[in-house]
Amino acid sequence: MTDRKSRRRPTRPGESRPGRAGESRGGRPGESRAGRADSRAARVIREQRARERRRRRALWTSIGAVVVLVAAGLIGWGVTAARNAGDFTPPDGANPEGTGIVVGSGPVTIDIYEDFLCPFCKQFEQQASGTLDQLIAQGRVRVTYHPVAFLNRFSSTDYSTRSSAASGCAAQSGKFREYARALFDRQPPEGGAGLSDDELVEIAVGVGLSGDSFRNCVRENTFKKWTDHVTEEASRAGITGTPTVLVNGKQVQASAEAITAAVTAAGG
Amino acid sequence: MDGPHHTGNHLVDQDDKMTVTERTVEDSRVPEGGPWPAARPWLGTAARLGLAAVWLVAGGSKIGDLDASGRAVNAYQIFPYDVAVVIGAALPFVEIALGMILVLGLATRLAAGISTALLVIFIAGISSAWARGLSIDCGCFGTGGDLAAGQDPTYGTEILRDLGFLVLAGFLLVWPRTPYSVDAALGRGLDDDEPPALEEAQPR
Repeated sequence: MTDRKSRRRPTRPGESRPGRAGESRGGRPGESRAGRADSRAARVIREQRARERRRRRALWTSIGAVVVLVAAGLIGWGVTAARNAGDFTPPDGANPEGTGIVVGSGPVTIDIYEDFLCPFCKQFEQQASGTLDQLIAQGRVRVTYHPVAFLNRFSSTDYSTRSSAASGCAAQSGKFREYARALFDRQPPEGGAGLSDDELVEIAVGVGLSGDSFRNCVRENTFKKWTDHVTEEASRAGITGTPTVLVNGKQVQASAEAITAAVTAAGG
Repeated sequence: MDGPHHTGNHLVDQDDKMTVTERTVEDSRVPEGGPWPAARPWLGTAARLGLAAVWLVAGGSKIGDLDASGRAVNAYQIFPYDVAVVIGAALPFVEIALGMILVLGLATRLAAGISTALLVIFIAGISSAWARGLSIDCGCFGTGGDLAAGQDPTYGTEILRDLGFLVLAGFLLVWPRTPYSVDAALGRGLDDDEPPALEEAQPR
């Protein structure tokens, strides 16, 4: 090993190199060659030890960092796994898979994915719900409404989940559509607290539901697990945004015209 | 350097040259010889804390809604849903842990390497979504999933931003030693000029 390679930090001017006095710098005139070799050997050993210590330190800090990262990932996995465990009870009026509320019994199937906090869903409702009600009344379509909770991040109270679960309470009493329309009419802005549980009950009373049983249903989170299920199954089905409208399983533009055209084309 | 021609003043001369070159390249604590070596360690600290902030903000914006994070991963349509959910749940925690490791300055080169790998994966994912004509938000800082009708994706901006972060990670990959880091604190006392064992230090 040469001097150049073994020496990592050279001596600063005016600083004596650790080692035997008078031999800190090899090659000083007047020193014996044997003494220099001796000092160099000691330094090589010292530097080898230091390198070994550095290697060990790097190894252990790296292992520590990797352990922290892996543990963090496992925590995240565990948190969702634990939260998504457990059975759900769908409300009356739900389809057999429990992924939505069925309205109508026509030959053409329509699936509508909406979030009660989504402004475009409100626009869609205002523009298309009359047409949909008409198609349902004419017996041409069977509509499955999927009240997904995609937008919890945009309220401080998980309004998407709370409103969807409340719509389950309304479905249980056979008034899903009336309640859903009233929720869109009173849609709170994104980024706020959303409507309170009391307001959700008040809207239910407004569409003719019993305040007491609705209040219990909301307070006991009766259909929260169902909402989680609706949301998860929508994601699994590849639904990534709201509103999404499928006619006979094929996505169409979320508008009254597009839906009518697709239903007509499907022979409904 | 044991050769017979390396003797006397010639060797001292070599030593002094080495002093200059090694200081500029290796020693982050005693910068000398111009603005770059003086500024570099501090740029390194800034890069380390900047990258840490990126990870902490990215993770923090997702950790409150792990389901949404899973959906954001699923929106790329690269992984099966169940895999996307696990990635989406684990990612915010890993990002925050990575941010904290960088704040501390622990195993900085490794953390910079992992950051680089993650950013390259993110850029690849965004590019792939772009190439396939998907209309999604990258989900990098919270929101994600499909864009509403009439909203244009901003893949170019997202990739440029990630490339900027990649520069920070690359800096730390090349120069991981920065002031105010656990690495530097642990390194002190382990360098070659640490006082050697007692009997060696005794003058004869």
